[in-house]
Amino acid sequence: MAYDSIANASIPTAANAKDFAKKKRANRSAKLKQCKLDARREQWLSQVKNKRSKEEMNGGGGMHVPRNERERSMENLEINPQREDNDGSVNHYSDSDSPTNSPTSHSSSVLGSNASGTNFTGSSSSRSSSSSSSSSVGCYSGTMSENDEEGDDGCLDDWEAVADALAATDDKQEQHNPLSELSPEREHVTQLDSHQESTNISKPNPICVGTAVHRAPVSGRAWRPDDAFRPQSLPNLLKQHSFPMNSDRHYGLGGTAWACKHAVSAPTACPICCEDLDFTDSSFLPCSCGFRLCLFCHKRILEEDGRCPGCRKQYDFDDAVEREATLDGGCLTVRLARSCSMITRS
Amino acid sequence: MVDFARVQKELQECNRDVELSGIRVSPKSDNLAHLIGAIPGPHGTPYEGGTFNIDITLPDGYPFEPPKMKFTTKVWHPNISSQSGAICLDILKDQWSPALTLKTALLSIQALLSTPEPDDPQDAVVAKQYLRDYQTFVGTARYWTETFAKASALGIEEKVQKLVEMGFPEALVRSTLEVVGGDENMALEKLCSG
Repeated sequence: MAYDSIANASIPTAANAKDFAKKKRANRSAKLKQCKLDARREQWLSQVKNKRSKEEMNGGGGMHVPRNERERSMENLEINPQREDNDGSVNHYSDSDSPTNSPTSHSSSVLGSNASGTNFTGSSSSRSSSSSSSSSVGCYSGTMSENDEEGDDGCLDDWEAVADALAATDDKQEQHNPLSELSPEREHVTQLDSHQESTNISKPNPICVGTAVHRAPVSGRAWRPDDAFRPQSLPNLLKQHSFPMNSDRHYGLGGTAWACKHAVSAPTACPICCEDLDFTDSSFLPCSCGFRLCLFCHKRILEEDGRCPGCRKQYDFDDAVEREATLDGGCLTVRLARSCSMITRS
Repeated sequence: MVDFARVQKELQECNRDVELSGIRVSPKSDNLAHLIGAIPGPHGTPYEGGTFNIDITLPDGYPFEPPKMKFTTKVWHPNISSQSGAICLDILKDQWSPALTLKTALLSIQALLSTPEPDDPQDAVVAKQYLRDYQTFVGTARYWTETFAKASALGIEEKVQKLVEMGFPEALVRSTLEVVGGDENMALEKLCSG
């Protein structure tokens, strides 16, 4: 099936590419299988570094043939310009730092898409092998050759690219269809083996790679409190947290059963003016008795006798505002508050 | 300025369970600053069976200032003026709280009828009688209740009709009867004098 898809996708290139790919695969598949069975980046890196020389040899050999292939594919396939763009985007992940690699990576990726068919039939045994097939051969050869220059980043970015492509398979399939050259068989292949196709298809489609990069982090994570894009409809965690702290503090001082009862069922309207309490008012607890009222009525009461409507005690020492001020300012504000209270009382 | 939104809400709240509490508040005029409250005489007291009307005037500072309340129904009680109906109750003066409502104030007045405080009297004559001759006090209070507090409920129309037959206009008769708390003789006296 994979053969068919590739035959449809790029028939003329396949002839050359298959031969080369088979040789290439013979060289690499054994090594790559060992590498990918581990599926760990550290081991990747170590093995990549060990094989640098060989891979460079292979990459150098691959440079010539794929260029031919590329030229032919340019003639026959409409996809090719997109693939060239692709290579740009692929290079964005792994190859961008090496100017000499842009032709090689290009060719290798095209070759990889060809070789995917060949490899797919041969090495469908395990997941790693399937992902290692074709495109992975191509792209890994590219990345390995680039690893000579970049070290870790090549492999890391490639893994991320695979993950992003996996996350955005749906988008790929949607954008996949407009590319008329891609056959339905190939779409079957995408459904059969999403790992491989994610790598394969993400490379022909520059858009896919881009969307995958942008969408994967957004969809996968929860909103952080300090996230700029966090919806404002979500509750404010900080304020919610501060409210029970306040109530605990007040109830601890003078809490009564009455206060606790009112804490459980906090009034929605000010009992004095019957206006609805907004968030500031409902978190406003001016007296230790637990009697709640809106800020306007509180201010009005302070202008007159300054006694809590619930318990008829003076507001002064239990005033939440002054208490917060004492927390900030220390002893000086305590004295100020007391002196003010003396004035209001006398 | 009176908080009319709150007053309106208080009226709704109070009239919702009027059957249960028996306390009724209704506006006297359009602006809700003048109201009429009615409380039933508490059981087990000389005031049982009577309905006592209370004139309520809301000051501009309400609910931060206490409402002005006085009995329009004559009542014999140490803490209520037998002449003017003025009420001696702390929550209507310095112990008022904005958290109180007209209904709770009227409930407090009802409780005051149950538990007179002769040591802090409004009407010295009544308080003196209460302390020296309690049985006489109870008899007088019951008589006043029968005479004034039940009059409006029993036969106000008969009194109106009787006074109208004497030659007084009906509207004036009704207003005068309301002022004197339904006392036919006092209404006649007031009509003749004024």
